[in-house]
Amino acid sequence: MVAPARTPLRTDRLRAVNAPKPVALELDASGVLSVSKVGKIEAILETWRIDDEWWRQPIARAYMEVMLEGGKRLVLFQDLITGEWFSQMP
Amino acid sequence: MSQRPTSVLAACVWIPLFPLRCEEARHEGLAGYPIALLAPDTARKLWQVSPLARHAGVKPGMTVSQAIGLCPTLRLFEPDPVHYDEQFARLLSALTEVSPIVEPAELGLAYVGTDGLEGIFGSPEKIVEAISNTMERWNDGMMERDNGKTSEASSSFHRSIFPSFHLGFGLGKFTAWVAASRSKPGEAIIVQTDDAGNFLASQSIAVLPLDPDIHRRLRQLGIRTLGALAALPEEAIAAQFGSVGRRLWLLAAGRITEPVVGRVSPEPIVAALTFFTPVGERELLSHSLDQLIARALRHPRRIGWRVHALRLRADLDGSGSWLATILLKDPSADGARIAAPLNIRLEQSPPTGAVERLVLEFTAFAPGTSELQLFARDAQAAARAGQQRALQSAAREIRMRIKRSSLYHIIEVQPWSRLPERRYALIDYEP
Repeated sequence: MVAPARTPLRTDRLRAVNAPKPVALELDASGVLSVSKVGKIEAILETWRIDDEWWRQPIARAYMEVMLEGGKRLVLFQDLITGEWFSQMP
Repeated sequence: MSQRPTSVLAACVWIPLFPLRCEEARHEGLAGYPIALLAPDTARKLWQVSPLARHAGVKPGMTVSQAIGLCPTLRLFEPDPVHYDEQFARLLSALTEVSPIVEPAELGLAYVGTDGLEGIFGSPEKIVEAISNTMERWNDGMMERDNGKTSEASSSFHRSIFPSFHLGFGLGKFTAWVAASRSKPGEAIIVQTDDAGNFLASQSIAVLPLDPDIHRRLRQLGIRTLGALAALPEEAIAAQFGSVGRRLWLLAAGRITEPVVGRVSPEPIVAALTFFTPVGERELLSHSLDQLIARALRHPRRIGWRVHALRLRADLDGSGSWLATILLKDPSADGARIAAPLNIRLEQSPPTGAVERLVLEFTAFAPGTSELQLFARDAQAAARAGQQRALQSAAREIRMRIKRSSLYHIIEVQPWSRLPERRYALIDYEP
């Protein structure tokens, strides 16, 4: 990581890193789960849950690390408040 | 001071007889004349000889009278090592516009690391083209500086006598060097990675870093190509020629891929003295040198570091220059120990004329003792100064090409957060 040099810190110039990307999960007739436009899920490797900021706007996420067809790994989470799915780097 | 960047893909830039080419470039009307440079010591022997002079039988190491006897039209020049050194430094600096990994090997020979450049320039052909364009710009800049004029006629005149660079591209420095040594002036040979074995096999053993004795013995054994050498068992070569032989075998067989190692060049600490009247006495020069060393040692950036490499250059009365480059075996911050090898050099190989200006540069440093390090203002300030300039130049280039800055700092926002998107953020990088 490079230490900021002369750039003044202005919050309007900040860009998010690793923002969650919305994804759609699909279940086919044979019961195989897949991430739309990414690939089929072969295995769920790990799951964990984050509950935070209950004192203002509660955040509740159910994370899972999955292995896709071909061996690629991906981290998905479901927003337990809205029910939407996202992908994100761990 | 810090880990040096490396690259296994290499381009080799080679300008044979670099000092002689520098003289040709700054003196108009030399084309067509046999020329030679005198050695930069008092022996008055020839150092470098142009192909035309060589054709007339003149060879390096001859005395002036022998050379003139063989070639009465020979034009002799006093060497100007400071000028050659400056031109080569400018060339290296120009090459860093193409790649941050540039390794100088000797005057006129440098390697450019090209790992990752395909993302910027494209194929090896395009990378070589970028290097070639840089060389041309450097060449034109040199002509303008040396001649103080930019007329088209003058420029084209000089370009016709200074296109003598050779370019080679391949996996590792040796393959790149062999390719450069086999290329025609102004052209390039690109050796594809999967073809390196075939390319090397057909080359003469003269491309290996051989001493004359090993070269002679190999030829007596009937080994004339790298392929013939590589066909022999490695152990047999090692038994005949020892560890040097094993290395030669590995190079010939393409088993060694020596990467280009970039320089982390710190900003030199410079101290200079201009004399009112040119000075020729060695004692006075030695005394001036002591003063310069003391002044350079007091520089705030030196505090906490010992001097490892230094350079003393002298501008001589009239024309010409003198240069001594010293690498201290034991880095030191002691004035007397730094002065000793320079005084020996001044005694054994003094400047060939009276000195008008004496410049001392500390060019490389080694960490001092742990106590001294406590006083170091910034462990890598010197190295970073150079890197910062390169970064600024790269950022400017990117902004110019894509009309917006796409370089960012990563800054910590809430590194402890359980939510990954809250931990870091990007902010525009404006060097």
